Amino acid sequence: MAARALVQAWGMLLALSFSTTALTLVDRPGATRMGIAVLVLVLAGVKARIILARYLGLAASHFWTRAFDVALGLFIAIAVAIYFIGKGG
Amino acid sequence: MSDRTRHEARSTVAADDDGWGVLGELPGDFMMWVLIVSELLVFSAALLAMLAVRAGDPVRFAADQAMLDRTAGALNTIVLVTSGLCAALAVEARSREARATARRWLAGAGLLGIVFLAVKAVEYTHKASLGIGVETSPFFTFYYLVTGFHAAHVVAGLVLLGLVAVFDSVRNMETAVAFWHMVDLVWVLLFPIVYLVR
Repeated sequence: MAARALVQAWGMLLALSFSTTALTLVDRPGATRMGIAVLVLVLAGVKARIILARYLGLAASHFWTRAFDVALGLFIAIAVAIYFIGKGG
Repeated sequence: MSDRTRHEARSTVAADDDGWGVLGELPGDFMMWVLIVSELLVFSAALLAMLAVRAGDPVRFAADQAMLDRTAGALNTIVLVTSGLCAALAVEARSREARATARRWLAGAGLLGIVFLAVKAVEYTHKASLGIGVETSPFFTFYYLVTGFHAAHVVAGLVLLGLVAVFDSVRNMETAVAFWHMVDLVWVLLFPIVYLVR
């Protein structure tokens, strides 16, 4: 992959990481906290997808991009489900 | 046999010789992908188990989690993501025969890996000074298990990066760097679950 595309992927990862950190600075109990937790988990999934597609080169294969999307989506969905079982503290 | 039939026959043989189907679409070394998927499954199971611990006692989990250094965790995210970029740029440089540049990017990736471990060591030392250990609570059992196992992978990745800096074929470098990206990938999933989700 071209250097420019790699740097762009890095920029996206940093932006998402800063967004995640900014989100967790908001500390309100209840539904807001739960919503933030779900958003943080989804952002983690987006970051993982960027690493898989851009750095690990899966973007070149439609099949494997889909396969890892499904696996990653399943992982995040299960994580969110278990989180809600804990009722957000 | 017509030209068209001969062409189709050759194409079939070529496809059979390949014999990997969609597996052949995976970039780099196939066995590294087996390792990457295995590691991702192990870490995924551990992280989901950690969330299950939280579901069992969210109040205690939150109290223990509040003792973690989020700033250190966030810093390590930036360090590891940047290290991943350096490693990717090393492969990019090596693929256009810029071997010295590739080695410099590998060195950058390795140095950032060492920074990651140093920050982790500071975190562990601080926890130890507070008397927090593996048996303090279920949260900290998982904290040390998951982050310690990840740190062990960072060490293994550093060894691989060192090896391919010497034995620097494109294939070697792609394979080692794929492992390094897996370490990076695990951290971006681990950090929010262990440090952030309240």
